[in-house]
Amino acid sequence: MKILLAEDDFVTRKFMVNFLSKYGECDVTVDGMEAVDAFMMALEDGEPYDLVCLDIMMPVMDGYQSLVGIRNLEKERNVPADKAAKVIMTTALNDEKNVKMAFELGCTVYSGKPIDQDRFEQALKKLDLI
Amino acid sequence: MSETSELKKGTEESQPASNERDAQKGKYMTFKSGSEYYGLKIQYVKEIIQFQAITVIPETADYIKGLINLRGKVIPVIDVRLRFKQAPIEYDDRTCIMVINVKSTTVGLIVEKIAEVVEIQEENILPPPSIGRIDKAQNKYVYGIGKVGDSVKLLLDPDKLLNDEDLSGAEQDDDTEEEE
Amino acid sequence: MAEEFNTEGMLDMYLFENEQLLEQLQDRVLEQKDAECFDEDSINEIFRTMHTIKGSSGIMMFDNITAVSHKLEDVFYYLRESHPENVPHLDLVEHVLEVADFISNEMDKIRNGSPVDGDSSDIIKRLDGFLNMLKNGIAQGGAEQPPENVHEEPKQFYIAPVATSASRFFKIYLTFFPETEMANVHAYKTVYALKEIAEDLLYSPDDIIADEGSAELILKEGFRILLQAQCSEQEIRDIIGVGYDIKNVDIFECKAEEFLQGFDFGDQDTQIDLESSVEEIESKAQEAAEEDGEKEVKEPPKPQIAPGDFVIKSKEPGKHKTLAKDKNKVEKASFISVNVSKMDQLMELIGELVISESVVLQSPDLKVPGLNLNNFNKAAAQMSKISTDLQNVIMSMRMVSLANTFQKMNRIVFDVSRKLGKDIEFEMLGEQTEVDKNIIEHISDPLMHMVRNAVDHGIETNEERAQSGKTEKGRVILSARTEAGKVWISVEDNGKGLDREKILAKARKQGLLDDNKPDSSYSDKDVYQFITLPGFSTNEQVTEYSGRGVGMDVVVQSIQSIGGALDIESQTGFGTVMSLKIPLTLAIINGIVMETGNSSFVMETSVIKEFVSVRENMMIREPNGDEYVMIRGECFPVRRLGRWYGMSAYKESVEDGMMLILEVEDKKICLFVDKLIGEQEIVVKPIPSYIKKVKGLSGCTQLGDGSIALILDPAGLLE
Repeated sequence: MKILLAEDDFVTRKFMVNFLSKYGECDVTVDGMEAVDAFMMALEDGEPYDLVCLDIMMPVMDGYQSLVGIRNLEKERNVPADKAAKVIMTTALNDEKNVKMAFELGCTVYSGKPIDQDRFEQALKKLDLI
Repeated sequence: MSETSELKKGTEESQPASNERDAQKGKYMTFKSGSEYYGLKIQYVKEIIQFQAITVIPETADYIKGLINLRGKVIPVIDVRLRFKQAPIEYDDRTCIMVINVKSTTVGLIVEKIAEVVEIQEENILPPPSIGRIDKAQNKYVYGIGKVGDSVKLLLDPDKLLNDEDLSGAEQDDDTEEEE
Repeated sequence: MAEEFNTEGMLDMYLFENEQLLEQLQDRVLEQKDAECFDEDSINEIFRTMHTIKGSSGIMMFDNITAVSHKLEDVFYYLRESHPENVPHLDLVEHVLEVADFISNEMDKIRNGSPVDGDSSDIIKRLDGFLNMLKNGIAQGGAEQPPENVHEEPKQFYIAPVATSASRFFKIYLTFFPETEMANVHAYKTVYALKEIAEDLLYSPDDIIADEGSAELILKEGFRILLQAQCSEQEIRDIIGVGYDIKNVDIFECKAEEFLQGFDFGDQDTQIDLESSVEEIESKAQEAAEEDGEKEVKEPPKPQIAPGDFVIKSKEPGKHKTLAKDKNKVEKASFISVNVSKMDQLMELIGELVISESVVLQSPDLKVPGLNLNNFNKAAAQMSKISTDLQNVIMSMRMVSLANTFQKMNRIVFDVSRKLGKDIEFEMLGEQTEVDKNIIEHISDPLMHMVRNAVDHGIETNEERAQSGKTEKGRVILSARTEAGKVWISVEDNGKGLDREKILAKARKQGLLDDNKPDSSYSDKDVYQFITLPGFSTNEQVTEYSGRGVGMDVVVQSIQSIGGALDIESQTGFGTVMSLKIPLTLAIINGIVMETGNSSFVMETSVIKEFVSVRENMMIREPNGDEYVMIRGECFPVRRLGRWYGMSAYKESVEDGMMLILEVEDKKICLFVDKLIGEQEIVVKPIPSYIKKVKGLSGCTQLGDGSIALILDPAGLLE
């Protein structure tokens, strides 16, 4: 599985890479803009990411903006719904409206931090990623 | 009021100035009652105030002298001598009230004479003898004897001091429960 | 630097909404428990409830809750579509309640951060069985089976953060004695000490090392610290220590959100209306609420966040991440949730205000003869009016209705009576009665215990009742009313009542009886009070619902801790009534101040009917010492306060003091005191719990001159 990670905090980044590497090959970006760029690159190379992990609070572009960017790129290329990348947003923000907005914009899983690793895996299974 | 601040100053001077968190450990507030000196871990002591008018509450144990008004808060006060079943003495101008706080219970202790704050290391604390110097009533409240130079201070367990029932009453209850 | 802290918004919402749904579900079901079957509306409601719970639980990936609600939804879908006859109603009721309990339990685990591991397979198997039985019923009847229920699998999921429950948040407020020099350095020492354990630490004023002006600021306004740490309040106190320069340390535990707010005490744009009366204020508030309600229907609320709001501007060590776009989360609401500790503070302050008011109004400075105090008195009257209104509003803020608590009892009666095979009705009276929030917390468990007792031990089995010729169903009545500043709550049953002889026998065995007093000298009331002693239970068998006498004494303790009392009345063969009498918290009452001996006492004005100066020839003395007095042809028992409390220096001769005629619960008594001082508003403060309850005293208060007066409890004096 190809995984794209966007996380601006060094310590969290290390943790996430460690954690995600269990499931697949993990590419790392440090802000929203880089993430969208990376996603586009992968699409153009014909090897799109299966899973994208976005932090919400990041410099340059936040997680929501990246999500919108990524979904737009997919729409432009007419990627069918079942082939679209699964997006997991990770953040310490837990307000209902944050979650709602994420879902409306096309996020697949919203995971609060600190990440509940067992449930994370459970979700990946439900999404047929592992 | 001046006497109160003098008392404060006195104790402050003997307290070595220190920024360490451990500043509290091993420090005891000592006071005189009868012919003995007693010590109480300083973290329990909130403040020391001048003796003031006490409102008597009827039908309470003899050592519970009543209530005082401490800046708007109503606090019970007990007479330490009576708690130790010693003969009571007249209160004079050296008598003060030591306000202690144990497990969210605030109580004032009427003490004959406040002494100083001393530091006692662990190794200088010995268990109390079960007979002899200390009589039975105090034995439960005194958990150790601290040596400071040539003198000894009887170290008090504030929880037991406040909460222990009379020994005779406690034994009776135990018997009835076993019966059941 | 680790990110911000959990606000748990989603999880809270999930728990809150589903809790509400489950409560409504339970109420609905219990309402219909005696019906033949569920009506159309109920079936639809239950179906919808399960559907909703299934949906939200699915998103949160609580699989067992999802499975269980899925199954029950199927059952009710079936009921809705095929309308089978002869549905075993009580079984169905039990199934629904079972499901509700299971989900409730799992939600408790979620709330506590424990693993949500309940095994739902049992319940599901049984529900399956029930459903199949229904289906077979329909099949046998020859009718067509309705189409199967269709479920949509959730496609988006929410994963709640793992609770970092160890971290706690505290607001610390330090004040120093005014003489303290270099308060800023002392403050720094405290901060330095706290850094050892702090995960995060903020303080105000923040420049305490270099800015000497901060010392003055600290003396004037105190030193505030916001602390995140994994420790207890006591550990913080230990660290801050007891210096003689620190005057006071206030520590409040708070939530992450409050910590995040920092020192920004942003005010809500609320204005305090001083002129309108309480009723006017309340009706204005209601209008505003209705207006808001209407507005919501007309326009859907605009989303207040948008992509781009979360771009980070800067990150400095030790400070929070700041966002490029500064959002003002100003939500206009007609309700705000207030931290209970703030309400407690408010209550304390109003108490202090009343005391201060008396100090001012009774100031010796005013007693100068010849002073014209007209303007002063007018102003004082206005001030008193305002403070009374303030008290009323504050007290009303804390009032909560008993309905919720009573409903819980409804469920308990149902469960216990079902399990024991007894047929019991439950009735509620006066559940709309409102009491202070604090009281509800303290009586919930006692009431539960008393209700269980009534059902388990009070009410006999159906056979026993038939044998003793009782034709009505067993009944438990829970009622509440307020009267004279007190709340009366009673649990009544029409069971077998208490057995006086049995209780006396047990009391004798435990050595509680006075050998010198004959059994007959113990009144019924006295005998019944024995059951409230620890270790006293005349039950030979311990059932799972009421244990080995560990209950009643704890009940009494809980009630006494809020200043209340438990009264027990019973008639063998007919039933028992247990009544709780609880004073409304923070009473600010009108009291008459009096003196006896060297002590001051206060009694509630409404209890005192009259003051009478009596003469010796009006007194009647019995040989056993009891005294009575004849006043205008009526005879009253006399209680001498000084003698009763064994005081010294009180007035002996009735002609030197004053007689008060008191009326309490329809009984009249005369109290003899030395001197009356006057009437004033007093703030009832509890006698510190360290001191064991004294009969006849219900609290204490501070008088205008700073001295303490003891508050007399007239009911206690009667005994």
